[in-house]
Amino acid sequence: MSQTLSRPKVQPWSQSSVASVRPLILASVLPAVFAALVGLLANLDFSVALLVIFVPLQALAAGFVGFKTYGKRGLKDAVLIFVTIFFSMMVMVLLTSVLVSVAVAGFSAMSPQFLSQNNVYVSPTTSLEYGGVGHAILGTLLIVILTTIAAVPLGIAMAVFLTQSNAKHKGIVRTVTQALSGLPSVVSGLFILAIMGFVGIERSGLTGALALFPLMLPTVARVAEESLRLVPSDLRLAALALGAPNYKAFFQVILPAAKSGIITALLLGLARIIGETAPLILTINANNSTNLNPFAEGIATLPTYIYGFLSSGYSTSQARAWGAALVLLLLVALLFGAARIMTRQKSLKTKSTKKAK
Amino acid sequence: MESELANPKANQARRKLNVGPRSRGDRVFFGITSLAANFAFVLVALILVFLMVSAWPALQSQGLAFIYGSTWVADEGAEPIMQLGPMIWGSIQIAFIGILLGTPMAVATAYLIVFMLPSRAAKVATTVVDLMAALPSVVIGLWGLIVFTPVAAHWAQILNQTLGWFPVFAIEGEQPTYVDSPFIAGWIVAVMIVPIITSVTREIFSQMDSGLINGALALGAGRWAVLSRVILPTSRGGILGGVLLGLGRAIGETVAILYVLQLSFDINWYQILEPRGGAVASFILARFGEATPLEFQGLMAAGLVIFVVTLIVNTIASLIVNRSTRRVK
Repeated sequence: MSQTLSRPKVQPWSQSSVASVRPLILASVLPAVFAALVGLLANLDFSVALLVIFVPLQALAAGFVGFKTYGKRGLKDAVLIFVTIFFSMMVMVLLTSVLVSVAVAGFSAMSPQFLSQNNVYVSPTTSLEYGGVGHAILGTLLIVILTTIAAVPLGIAMAVFLTQSNAKHKGIVRTVTQALSGLPSVVSGLFILAIMGFVGIERSGLTGALALFPLMLPTVARVAEESLRLVPSDLRLAALALGAPNYKAFFQVILPAAKSGIITALLLGLARIIGETAPLILTINANNSTNLNPFAEGIATLPTYIYGFLSSGYSTSQARAWGAALVLLLLVALLFGAARIMTRQKSLKTKSTKKAK
Repeated sequence: MESELANPKANQARRKLNVGPRSRGDRVFFGITSLAANFAFVLVALILVFLMVSAWPALQSQGLAFIYGSTWVADEGAEPIMQLGPMIWGSIQIAFIGILLGTPMAVATAYLIVFMLPSRAAKVATTVVDLMAALPSVVIGLWGLIVFTPVAAHWAQILNQTLGWFPVFAIEGEQPTYVDSPFIAGWIVAVMIVPIITSVTREIFSQMDSGLINGALALGAGRWAVLSRVILPTSRGGILGGVLLGLGRAIGETVAILYVLQLSFDINWYQILEPRGGAVASFILARFGEATPLEFQGLMAAGLVIFVVTLIVNTIASLIVNRSTRRVK
């Protein structure tokens, strides 16, 4: 996957000595030290010191070292490397900030009863010893499983169409599916609301599951298509050549070979919808007690729980929102980890078969 | 035998290869899969039809002013005036800020992953970016409201005090709070779209013909020359597709923006630090709870607007991405 752009050295045979590394170390330490000193002495703001003093200085230093070592060409290269690292660091800092703040603030709300109790008799100012997200975890799982039952078979069938059939309009189907995967979640909720208005269905867990369906389907179809594409076509052709009809070739040869990929599609589809908030707010009534009947009454879910408590603005309610966010992120991480393990097993398998050849 | 040899054309016709599904099982199998595939079209059509039918009365009564007007009065009893202009402009504004902030970060991260990191670290970084894409938008909203807003308000204050002479960073009101502005919402959108642009760009970078790159290196090109003369010209289209996918996501972003932006029908053309802004999707969610039946039709029309816009943007984006990945291959 990664192609390294090895920089041509001036003298490929020369050993790197302390003397040749010294400017590199100096160039990476001096600007930071200088910016910190100036920032402290002039009592500058951190972000100002970073952007106005450190960044230009560091770019200058990198450019200087590049120029000294490789000439004119090295100047641009060094600045490019610095800019790349700077912007990627920004991404890292933002992501780390999200994860760390959820972990820290969420952990302080965490306790066994927070995971098991429900929200009956809990107001936004009730202390954290009472009440929890137990009902919301169950509700989220219930709704997500309902969506999965509908979306996964259909998504796999779409993927089969895109990989096995020789229909002419495959390209359009693929484009529309990809365009659907960018469907705004609030539109999906409004769509189900419009249907409910015409047919006359009450708001319940089922309508929430329906509102998540258009969001999960394209993800499952795309990932399943990729995994089916990875199965060598020799396998399918061999099965067909032995006289197997297409459906037997699929169920007995291709599906077993792509099993882990299909499970990955399921897991990534789940991760896609488990945190969706807007469609659920539009189509489900909130509920403080545990409700496991998807056909009647409101159901609590983790995203709507976070939404509700964050909207009420007290510090205890915010703490509850952080706790629920941590639970939600752990669920997402669990799904992701499982998907990772699945794909790793797959790659190991293909490696070992290659070796056997 | 002889007759067949004498008449090769008849022989050819008889031995014509039949590649279609022959057995009944196959016909059922392909029938089901093509039904499922056509469901993608059905779904798009259903969404369009249902939203349009529910929104029709509102669209009819408001006319074109629904798109460009800037009043939203929908109280019980009175004749509702529903004009979405400031929200639509706000969505465009926030998406623009988000893309302006997010694209350099995303392209730099993709470049770092593909061309600078050793392969094991690259794998870790890829996982991290994918995980970032899976962060639920309500969690980003929570973080944006409690953790990020104070930081960004501080940046906004510095921007306003040093570059306030520039109209974009000016603030009209006295004692500004620097929060709830399109500037902060743009940052939040950037956090949401960086992983999308990164993964598309990474895909395209990693499918680059390494012969081209090695050839350029052999000719004495440095990193910068390889990037500007080889990598960017070949992958420009794909990066544009990724940016468009990000744009689609930015327009549809709902919950996260709702927390960090003050929705206002007092249109804010360019003063991005003012606590006035708009976002169509967030507005739908914000008004939904207390909407009258007539206003509800207006919200459906708003949903129709973002659906049509995102569908067009996403279709163009996926066409571009598909074409450029194929060409690079």
